[in-house]
Amino acid sequence: MSHIVEIKTEVRDPVAIRAACQRLKVPGPVFGEFRLFSTSAIGWAVRLPQWRFPVVCDVNTAKIAYDNYEGRWGDTKHLDGFLQGYAVEKAKLEARKKGHTVTEQSLADGSIKLTVSVGGVA
Amino acid sequence: MSKTIEIVVTPTGQTHVQTKGFVGSDCRQASRFIEQALGRQTGEELTAEFHQQASQQQSYQQRH
Repeated sequence: MSHIVEIKTEVRDPVAIRAACQRLKVPGPVFGEFRLFSTSAIGWAVRLPQWRFPVVCDVNTAKIAYDNYEGRWGDTKHLDGFLQGYAVEKAKLEARKKGHTVTEQSLADGSIKLTVSVGGVA
Repeated sequence: MSKTIEIVVTPTGQTHVQTKGFVGSDCRQASRFIEQALGRQTGEELTAEFHQQASQQQSYQQRH
Protein backbone atom coordinates (compact mmCIF):
# COMPACT_ATOMS: atom_id res chain seq x y z
CA MET A 1 0.00 0.00 0.00
CA SER A 2 1.56 3.27 -1.06
CA HIS A 3 -1.00 5.93 -1.80
CA ILE A 4 -4.75 6.52 -1.99
CA VAL A 5 -6.35 8.95 -4.42
CA GLU A 6 -9.94 10.20 -4.36
CA ILE A 7 -11.52 11.09 -7.70
CA LYS A 8 -14.72 12.85 -8.74
CA THR A 9 -15.97 10.94 -11.76
CA GLU A 10 -16.22 12.87 -15.03
CA VAL A 11 -18.21 11.38 -17.91
CA ARG A 12 -16.04 11.87 -21.03
CA ASP A 13 -16.07 8.57 -22.95
CA PRO A 14 -19.01 7.48 -25.16
CA VAL A 15 -17.72 3.88 -25.21
CA ALA A 16 -17.85 3.69 -21.42
CA ILE A 17 -21.30 5.38 -21.44
CA ARG A 18 -22.55 2.60 -23.75
CA ALA A 19 -21.00 -0.07 -21.51
CA ALA A 20 -22.66 1.51 -18.46
CA CYS A 21 -26.04 1.44 -20.26
CA GLN A 22 -25.58 -2.27 -21.04
CA ARG A 23 -24.63 -2.87 -17.44
CA LEU A 24 -27.79 -1.10 -16.21
CA LYS A 25 -29.93 -2.76 -18.91
CA VAL A 26 -31.17 0.57 -20.29
CA PRO A 27 -31.20 1.63 -23.97
CA GLY A 28 -27.84 2.65 -25.42
CA PRO A 29 -26.86 6.31 -25.60
CA VAL A 30 -28.00 8.46 -28.53
CA PHE A 31 -26.17 11.60 -29.66
CA GLY A 32 -28.15 14.74 -30.47
CA GLU A 33 -30.03 17.69 -29.04
CA PHE A 34 -32.66 16.87 -26.44
CA ARG A 35 -35.39 18.81 -24.68
CA LEU A 36 -35.28 18.89 -20.89
CA PHE A 37 -38.64 20.48 -19.99
CA SER A 38 -37.81 24.22 -20.31
CA THR A 39 -34.27 23.90 -21.70
CA SER A 40 -32.37 21.72 -24.15
CA ALA A 41 -28.94 20.08 -24.17
CA ILE A 42 -26.59 18.58 -26.75
CA GLY A 43 -24.68 15.39 -26.06
CA TRP A 44 -25.09 11.67 -25.44
CA ALA A 45 -28.57 11.03 -24.04
CA VAL A 46 -29.22 8.19 -21.63
CA ARG A 47 -32.75 7.07 -20.77
CA LEU A 48 -32.87 6.07 -17.11
CA PRO A 49 -35.72 3.93 -15.73
CA GLN A 50 -38.93 5.94 -15.09
CA TRP A 51 -37.21 9.25 -15.91
CA ARG A 52 -39.40 11.69 -17.81
CA PHE A 53 -36.46 13.32 -19.63
CA PRO A 54 -33.07 11.91 -20.62
CA VAL A 55 -29.78 12.58 -18.89
CA VAL A 56 -27.53 14.31 -21.45
CA CYS A 57 -23.75 13.90 -21.17
CA ASP A 58 -21.48 16.45 -22.86
CA VAL A 59 -18.24 14.49 -23.14
CA ASN A 60 -16.25 17.61 -24.07
CA THR A 61 -17.05 19.50 -20.88
CA ALA A 62 -17.98 16.49 -18.68
CA LYS A 63 -21.21 18.33 -17.79
CA ILE A 64 -24.35 16.28 -17.26
CA ALA A 65 -27.64 18.02 -18.04
CA TYR A 66 -30.91 16.72 -16.63
CA ASP A 67 -34.20 17.88 -15.11
CA ASN A 68 -35.81 15.44 -12.72
CA TYR A 69 -37.82 18.12 -10.87
CA GLU A 70 -36.15 17.36 -7.53
CA GLY A 71 -36.96 13.68 -7.83
CA ARG A 72 -40.57 13.96 -9.04
CA TRP A 73 -39.63 13.16 -12.65
CA GLY A 74 -36.91 10.62 -11.92
CA ASP A 75 -35.23 9.02 -8.92
CA THR A 76 -31.71 10.37 -8.37
CA LYS A 77 -30.54 6.90 -7.30
CA HIS A 78 -30.71 5.87 -10.98
CA LEU A 79 -28.38 8.74 -11.92
CA ASP A 80 -26.00 7.70 -9.13
CA GLY A 81 -26.15 4.14 -10.43
CA PHE A 82 -25.31 5.32 -13.92
CA LEU A 83 -22.28 7.28 -12.62
CA GLN A 84 -21.11 4.23 -10.67
CA GLY A 85 -21.56 2.00 -13.72
CA TYR A 86 -19.71 4.48 -15.91
CA ALA A 87 -16.73 4.67 -13.51
CA VAL A 88 -16.52 0.88 -13.23
CA GLU A 89 -16.70 0.32 -16.98
CA LYS A 90 -14.25 3.15 -17.75
CA ALA A 91 -11.70 1.78 -15.27
CA LYS A 92 -12.06 -1.72 -16.76
CA LEU A 93 -11.63 -0.39 -20.31
CA GLU A 94 -8.48 1.54 -19.41
CA ALA A 95 -6.94 -1.34 -17.45
CA ARG A 96 -7.55 -3.80 -20.29
CA LYS A 97 -6.06 -1.37 -22.83
CA LYS A 98 -2.82 -1.65 -20.82
CA GLY A 99 -3.04 -5.44 -20.85
CA HIS A 100 -3.89 -5.77 -17.16
CA THR A 101 -6.39 -8.27 -15.79
CA VAL A 102 -9.34 -6.97 -13.76
CA THR A 103 -11.57 -8.69 -11.22
CA GLU A 104 -14.82 -7.18 -9.94
CA GLN A 105 -16.43 -7.60 -6.55
CA SER A 106 -19.62 -6.13 -5.04
CA LEU A 107 -19.24 -4.78 -1.50
CA ALA A 108 -21.86 -4.82 1.27
CA ASP A 109 -22.34 -1.02 1.21
CA GLY A 110 -23.22 -1.03 -2.49
CA SER A 111 -19.74 -0.06 -3.65
CA ILE A 112 -17.99 -1.99 -6.42
CA LYS A 113 -14.35 -2.96 -6.02
CA LEU A 114 -12.07 -3.59 -8.98
CA THR A 115 -8.68 -5.21 -8.51
CA VAL A 116 -6.24 -4.57 -11.36
CA SER A 117 -3.30 -6.98 -11.45
CA VAL A 118 -0.36 -5.05 -12.86
CA GLY A 119 2.03 -8.00 -12.82
CA GLY A 120 5.52 -8.35 -11.42
CA VAL A 121 6.56 -8.08 -7.80
CA ALA A 122 7.93 -5.17 -5.80
CA MET B 1 4.19 -8.97 -3.00
CA SER B 2 2.19 -8.67 -6.23
CA LYS B 3 1.47 -5.24 -7.69
CA THR B 4 -2.19 -4.29 -7.78
CA ILE B 5 -4.35 -1.21 -8.19
CA GLU B 6 -7.58 -1.33 -6.19
CA ILE B 7 -10.45 0.85 -7.35
CA VAL B 8 -13.55 1.27 -5.20
CA VAL B 9 -16.52 3.04 -6.81
CA THR B 10 -19.17 4.14 -4.31
CA PRO B 11 -22.92 3.94 -5.05
CA THR B 12 -22.80 7.66 -5.96
CA GLY B 13 -19.94 7.26 -8.43
CA GLN B 14 -17.11 8.59 -6.26
CA THR B 15 -13.90 6.66 -6.85
CA HIS B 16 -10.99 5.76 -4.59
CA VAL B 17 -7.83 4.39 -6.18
CA GLN B 18 -5.26 2.61 -4.03
CA THR B 19 -1.97 1.03 -5.09
CA LYS B 20 -0.42 -1.98 -3.38
CA GLY B 21 2.97 -3.63 -3.74
CA PHE B 22 4.79 -0.77 -5.44
CA VAL B 23 8.08 0.71 -4.29
CA GLY B 24 8.01 4.37 -3.26
CA SER B 25 6.83 6.82 -5.89
CA ASP B 26 6.37 4.09 -8.55
CA CYS B 27 2.81 3.75 -7.27
CA ARG B 28 1.92 7.23 -8.51
CA GLN B 29 3.04 6.46 -12.05
CA ALA B 30 1.36 3.06 -12.02
CA SER B 31 -2.14 4.33 -11.26
CA ARG B 32 -2.00 7.70 -13.04
CA PHE B 33 -3.56 6.36 -16.28
CA ILE B 34 -6.70 5.25 -14.43
CA GLU B 35 -6.90 8.37 -12.27
CA GLN B 36 -6.71 10.67 -15.30
CA ALA B 37 -9.24 8.59 -17.26
CA LEU B 38 -11.82 8.61 -14.47
CA GLY B 39 -11.97 12.31 -13.72
CA ARG B 40 -10.71 15.00 -11.37
CA GLN B 41 -8.56 14.22 -8.34
CA THR B 42 -10.07 15.66 -5.17
CA GLY B 43 -7.63 14.26 -2.62
CA GLU B 44 -4.51 12.18 -2.08
CA GLU B 45 -3.13 10.40 0.93
CA LEU B 46 0.41 9.04 1.07
CA THR B 47 0.59 6.06 3.40
CA ALA B 48 3.31 5.32 5.94
CA GLU B 49 4.54 2.59 3.63
CA PHE B 50 5.08 5.13 0.86
CA HIS B 51 7.46 7.16 3.05
CA GLN B 52 9.10 4.03 4.46
CA GLN B 53 9.76 2.57 1.03
CA ALA B 54 10.97 5.91 -0.30
CA SER B 55 13.52 6.29 2.50
CA GLN B 56 14.68 2.67 2.08
CA GLN B 57 15.16 3.30 -1.63
CA GLN B 58 17.15 6.47 -0.89
CA SER B 59 19.49 4.77 1.60
CA TYR B 60 20.03 1.87 -0.82
CA GLN B 61 20.98 4.31 -3.59
CA GLN B 62 23.41 6.12 -1.26
CA ARG B 63 25.17 2.84 -0.42
CA HIS B 64 25.49 1.69 -4.07
